[in-house]
Amino acid sequence: MTAIAAIGRTRALALLAGLVVLAALPYVTSAYTTSLVSLMLIAAMLAASVNFMAGQMGLVSVGHAGIAATAGYGVAWAADNGWSLGSQLLLALVLTILVSAVYGVTSMRTNGIFFLMVTLALGMVVWGLTYRMAQITGGENGITGIRRPEAIAPYWTFYFAVLALFVVATLALWIVSRSPYGLVLQGIKESESRMSSLGYQIPAYKFSAMMISGFVAGIAGVLWVWHAEFTSPTSAGFLRSALTVVMVILGGVGTVLGPLVGAAIVVWTEHVLSTHVERWPTVLGLIFVVVILFAPGGVIGGLRSLRDAVTRRRGGPPTEPPADDVSEPGSRQVTPTSTAS
Amino acid sequence: MSARTTRGRRALAGAAMLALTAGLVACAPAGADPDTTQPASPGGSSDDGDTGDADGGTFTVGFLSPVTGPVAAAGTEMREGWELYWEQTGNESAGVTIKTVFEDDAGNPDTALTKAKRLVEDEEVDILVGPLLANTALAVADYAVQAGVPNLHPVAAADDLTQRKADPLVVRTGSYTGSQMNYAAGDWAYKQGHRTAITICPDYAFGWESCAGFARTFTDAGGEVTDQLWFPLGTQDFSTYVSQIAASGADMVYAATAGGADGTNFVKSFVEFGVKDQMPILTNCCTVDQANLTALGDMALGIHSVSYWAEGRDAPEVAEFLELYEEQYGKIPSINVAGAYLTAYLVDTALQATDGKARGTDLTDAIRQVDVSDTVYGALTFDDYSNPVGPIYVREVQTRDDGKLWNVPIETYDAVSQFWDYGADAVLADPPYSRDNTGR
Repeated sequence: MTAIAAIGRTRALALLAGLVVLAALPYVTSAYTTSLVSLMLIAAMLAASVNFMAGQMGLVSVGHAGIAATAGYGVAWAADNGWSLGSQLLLALVLTILVSAVYGVTSMRTNGIFFLMVTLALGMVVWGLTYRMAQITGGENGITGIRRPEAIAPYWTFYFAVLALFVVATLALWIVSRSPYGLVLQGIKESESRMSSLGYQIPAYKFSAMMISGFVAGIAGVLWVWHAEFTSPTSAGFLRSALTVVMVILGGVGTVLGPLVGAAIVVWTEHVLSTHVERWPTVLGLIFVVVILFAPGGVIGGLRSLRDAVTRRRGGPPTEPPADDVSEPGSRQVTPTSTAS
Repeated sequence: MSARTTRGRRALAGAAMLALTAGLVACAPAGADPDTTQPASPGGSSDDGDTGDADGGTFTVGFLSPVTGPVAAAGTEMREGWELYWEQTGNESAGVTIKTVFEDDAGNPDTALTKAKRLVEDEEVDILVGPLLANTALAVADYAVQAGVPNLHPVAAADDLTQRKADPLVVRTGSYTGSQMNYAAGDWAYKQGHRTAITICPDYAFGWESCAGFARTFTDAGGEVTDQLWFPLGTQDFSTYVSQIAASGADMVYAATAGGADGTNFVKSFVEFGVKDQMPILTNCCTVDQANLTALGDMALGIHSVSYWAEGRDAPEVAEFLELYEEQYGKIPSINVAGAYLTAYLVDTALQATDGKARGTDLTDAIRQVDVSDTVYGALTFDDYSNPVGPIYVREVQTRDDGKLWNVPIETYDAVSQFWDYGADAVLADPPYSRDNTGR
C-alpha cells in the first residue's frame, strides 16, 4: 500500500517539478528557446492524438498531419480573408470535424496494416488538395501573413497558451483512457471478436475514437499555424505524419508523457542538432534504432523497466503489474473483459 | 481505496499545477518588452552593441539554405557562391568584419522558420540571406519583416516575394521572378517564326509562373499555345509526356523545370525518343543549367534556353568569377552559385556606399540604389518592388575550348522588368499565375 502511494507521490512530485520547469521557462531562457519549446509542445499534442489511438486500440495512423493541416488551413485561410477570430476557429472546428469524420468512416472497419494504409492514403489526399487547390491554399507557396490573436501575440503568452492547452489535452486524453469507454477501446485492442460477441459496436467505437483523436490533432494544427504564422502543404505531408509516429514510438506507445518526450527528441534533433551536425537525419535514425533495440517500450517504457529492475534488486515489494500509465489494470478492473473471463 | 486516494492526490496535484501555471501567466518575463513581436526594430539594430564598435565592428549574416534533403545540392552551391565572394575580400567590407552563420533549413518551411528565429534572436544577425525554395522563402520573408531584419533572396523565384507580398526589407538580390525570366522566351520564340507551341512545366507555383510567362508574351505576339502539360515534381519517366509533345504537331515545345533530376530526366527522354531532331525546343533557366549539363553530356548540345545567368557570356567579370570558382571547385558555376555570389557582391557594394554603417531598411535602400553595369548578370537596377531589372539571355549549349559544356548567349534582352511591358498595375490586378490563370 505505502509503496503504491509512494510511487504515486513520487510521480506526482516529478510531474509537478516538470511543470514548474516548463512554466518557469520563459523567465529563464531566451525567446528563441521558448518558441522552440512551444513547437515541441505542439508537436507533442499532435503525437498525443496519434498515441491515443495507438495506445488504446493499437491503431497506428500515419495520416494525422492531414487532420492537423486541415484545421490549420481553416484558420489560415479565414485569417487571410479577414474573418474574425471566432469565425476562424469555427471554420477550423467544422473542418476538423468533417475531415475526422471522413478518416473515421473510411477506417472504422479496418485494423492493423489496413488502418495504416487507409490513414496514409487519406493524409496524401489532404496533402494533394492543399497542393492543388492553389486559389484557396496558395498551393506550394502556402499562406503567409497570418497573425496570432492579440492576446497571444507575444511569444511568451503564446507559450503559456500552448502549455495550458497541452496540459488540458493530455489530462483529457488520460481521463478518457481510464474511463469505461477507454477500457472498451482497450478491450477492442485485446480482442475484437470477443468484444463484438459481447455486443459492442466496434466500428462505432473506432469512429468515435478517431473523432476524439482528430479533435486534439485539430487543436495542434491551429496552434502550429499560429506558431509559424504560416502554412504550406508541408504541414500535411507524409514526413510530418511519419515523424509524429516516430515521436510516439520513441516516447513509448500508450504512455501519457511519451509523446512529449518523443516530440522533444525529434524537434531537438531537427531544429537544434541540425545546426551542429549536418547528418542529423542519420542521428535521428540511429536514436530510433537504439530505442527500438534496447527499449521497445520507448524512453518512458525503458525508464519504467529500469525503475522496476532497481526496485527488484533492492528487494522491495514487486511493483504493480506492468505499470502502465494509461490504465492500471488490477486497481479498477470493471471492464467487460473481466466479466467475460 | 488506495487507488482512490492516489487518484485524489493526483487530481489535487493536477489542480495545483494548473493554478501555478495560471499564476505565472499573469506576469511577463523580465526580458519581454511590450513589443516582443519585434525583437529588433528596423532602425535600432545598428546600435546593438556588437555592431557599431570601433574599427567598423561586425556585420553578422544569417545564411539559410538546404544542405540536407531533396534540394541539398542546390543549397550547397548557394553556400559556395557566398563563401567564394567573401574569401576574395577577406570577410571584410568598408572596414566592417563580415561574419556568416550558416544554417540548414532542409527545404522545410518549419525548419527554415525556426532557424531564422534562432539567427535573429540568438545570433542577432543584421541580415538574413536565403532560403532557396519558394515556400521556405515566403515564410522566412514574412518573419523577417515582422522582426525588422532585411532578407535577401539569392535563388528564390516566387513571384509574390516581390509582387503581392513585397516589402522594403525584402530584396530579391540573385534571381528574377518565375514569370519575368520567361516573358522573353515567348517573345523570342515568336520572332523565330514559331506560331504554335506546346508547353510542359512542373505542376506547382514555379512551373505555373514559368509557363505563364512564356504563354503570355507568345500569345500576345500572335502565337497560339495549343496545349499545356503539367508534370508532378520528381517525375522519373517522361516518356508519355514526350510522346504527347511529339504527337502535338506544334511548331515548337517550351519546357521548364526547376532543375535537378527533373531537368535531366526530361531532356534525356526528349533526346532518346528522337524528338529533339524533329522539333525545336526552348527551355528555362534551370533545365540545362551547369548542374545538369555534366549529367546530360553532348545530348544537350544546341538546346536553347532563357535565363538571367549565362556562364558563356564574354565579359571580364564573368571570366573572373568562373576562374575563381573553377580553381576551387573544378566545375563551372551554376545559377545557384552565381545568385549567392551576386548577393554577396551587392551587400559589399551597399556597405561600401554607406561607409559600412547601413542596417535594416537603410541597407536594403542602399542595395536597391546600386546601379552597376558589370555584375555577373550584366547591368542591374532594382524596381519599386525590390526586384532586379536586368538582362535576360537567350542561350545555346555549346562546347567550350576545354571540352566542357556551357551556355553561350545568342541574344540579349536588356533591362527586363518583372512586369515585362505590361506595367505593375496590370499584372498585379490579375490573380497570381496558376493552372487557372496560365497567361494563355
